[in-house]
Amino acid sequence: MFALLRDLRHLRRSLALPPPDRGRSLAVRHVDAGSCNGCEHELTLTASPFCDLARFGLGIVASPRHADVLLVSGAVTRRMREPLLTAYAAMPEPRRVAALGDCALGREVLGMPDDLAGPVEDLLPVDLRIPGCPPPPDAIAEALLGLVDGRQGPTLIR
Amino acid sequence: MTIGTTGRTEAIESRGNPGAVARPRVGGSVGTVEIAEVGTMTYRSRLTEALAAGWRYGGTHVAAGGDRVRTLLTAPGGATLLLGVPVEGGKVPTVVDLAPAACWDEREAADLHGIGFIGHAPLRSLVDHGDLGRWTVPVAGTDLCQVAVGPIHAGVIESGHFRFHLVGDRILHLDARLFYKHRGLERAAEGSTLDRGAAYVARACGACAVANGVAYAHACEQVLGLVPTPALSRARTLLLELERLWSHLNDVAAICAGVGLAAGNTRFAGFTERARRVNAELSGHRFLFGTVRVGGNDLVADGGQVRAVRAALDALRVEVTSGWRELMFNASFQDRLPGAGVVATEAARRLGTVGPAARAAGLAEDVRTASPRLHYPGFRPVVPDRATGDVRARLEQRGLELWQTFDLLDGLLDRPVEPATAERGAPPGPIGVGRVESPRGATTCVVESDGARVTRLRLRTGSYANWPSVAAAAPGNLLVDFPLINKSFELCYACADR
Repeated sequence: MFALLRDLRHLRRSLALPPPDRGRSLAVRHVDAGSCNGCEHELTLTASPFCDLARFGLGIVASPRHADVLLVSGAVTRRMREPLLTAYAAMPEPRRVAALGDCALGREVLGMPDDLAGPVEDLLPVDLRIPGCPPPPDAIAEALLGLVDGRQGPTLIR
Repeated sequence: MTIGTTGRTEAIESRGNPGAVARPRVGGSVGTVEIAEVGTMTYRSRLTEALAAGWRYGGTHVAAGGDRVRTLLTAPGGATLLLGVPVEGGKVPTVVDLAPAACWDEREAADLHGIGFIGHAPLRSLVDHGDLGRWTVPVAGTDLCQVAVGPIHAGVIESGHFRFHLVGDRILHLDARLFYKHRGLERAAEGSTLDRGAAYVARACGACAVANGVAYAHACEQVLGLVPTPALSRARTLLLELERLWSHLNDVAAICAGVGLAAGNTRFAGFTERARRVNAELSGHRFLFGTVRVGGNDLVADGGQVRAVRAALDALRVEVTSGWRELMFNASFQDRLPGAGVVATEAARRLGTVGPAARAAGLAEDVRTASPRLHYPGFRPVVPDRATGDVRARLEQRGLELWQTFDLLDGLLDRPVEPATAERGAPPGPIGVGRVESPRGATTCVVESDGARVTRLRLRTGSYANWPSVAAAAPGNLLVDFPLINKSFELCYACADR
């Protein structure tokens, strides 16, 4: 049994997999609350071989009931306000909210005020801010990993 | 199918009435729009005549001031005609029976501008979400059930609601309710300067930022009487094809995801990442944001940069070819594609399908064949050998267009890119119409202006034109095949919702 564990550790080292201090996981539920589709395209590529967030234990889950983090993109339109709040209400505690991209952070948002309900901060307690228009996959990955590790990376306060 | 070739090219200009459309003259009528103000009585007859002569419906919008409704028609040769009809008693005659593609346009005009369309019954709400009964088509019968999906989906997908009416696992009818992401961008752009208006168009969609931006720039340049210099045409064409490259690679990855083929999905996701890095290397932005503006272009790439980009694309092409070959010979993958989500030729013509989805259905229509403001000399659209209009044909179409785009990019990158401008060369006008072939099909931008400011903006993207085709492709298929069918169109919600 111990030999097997030793072999597995050796295998992990030889494959350069993440170190054991990243032995935790984070389940992310993404909600597009009225983005331009740029953040979605970059978030999709966090699963590409260049980034491969799954190897750090991070994954997109299908339901907010399985999620630790609500990752919100977009300016929050009036019509997405209710679905967003419903998704948040469905999440178990402890839960975190991450605002993805400049629109979600309320920066340079365009549109008619009566069609918009955002930014995310006005509706939900935001724990993680990921700026960028859109933030590239490595920036998204770094920010989410910061949440796993409990550290405040430089991207969080930029 | 032969791998790595540009496939079968087909000239379709013979359909319709090509003789009626003069070749654009440089410095003269480069893509100008003819505006015809017609009466309520002649509106429908003019439209009927044009459609019979091979013209295609291109969108309906409410004019600035709200006293007119304008319908755009385009000829196979690229000529555009705007038919304006006065609003009388808050109403105009419908054209949805003549051009079913007008369905969404008229519903949108009714919801956003309160215009009634005489003869369009029932006029269901589209943008206005209201109560369920106002937007669903009533479906009744035994053993019938509904499945409601969205607006929040299970993966990383934009927000929109699909209401499936099923018998067992088979789809009987699909109502798509979009516009959850409606931000009122067109209304917000009114009153801004022509230069500033570009920001609103860019915000409409990140995935189609260049296509939408160029369509808007063309429309504004028509208003201002400007014609792009050859250098500007080349720079914009380069940007458009770079956008198409990453977009088509992403579409192939998405179709793989639609059947759960992780190997194909991650491989093409990797190619997409590399294409976006090329964009960043050339323009400083992975989605080419900020590269298109009205009246000129600031993109600069010296000889070394251009050579580096060309070399990166050459290397990418080799690997994409190999990845594509693996997909073509993956039997369990290929087995899922034929016969799924069929949009046949006649249905595509009727629904106003555009882009790869239309070409996969056998309509060899491509705005690039008639784009005098861009650099597409001798362009011919490709269509697959088996234009069956199903998921397989739409996938093969992406492959064929990928080689074509690699070829175009190779030709465009044979010299450095320098800042360029548009110059005076055409009469200015109150309305401009820009048409561009986006990765998802013909994107039309209509700009009405007082000469300095935007008084009305209408952006009708390829995604907007094709959403009704997605709903039409679903019936008869199993519910579990819908994600695959949806991915084979891979439309933006943001572009449609605005």
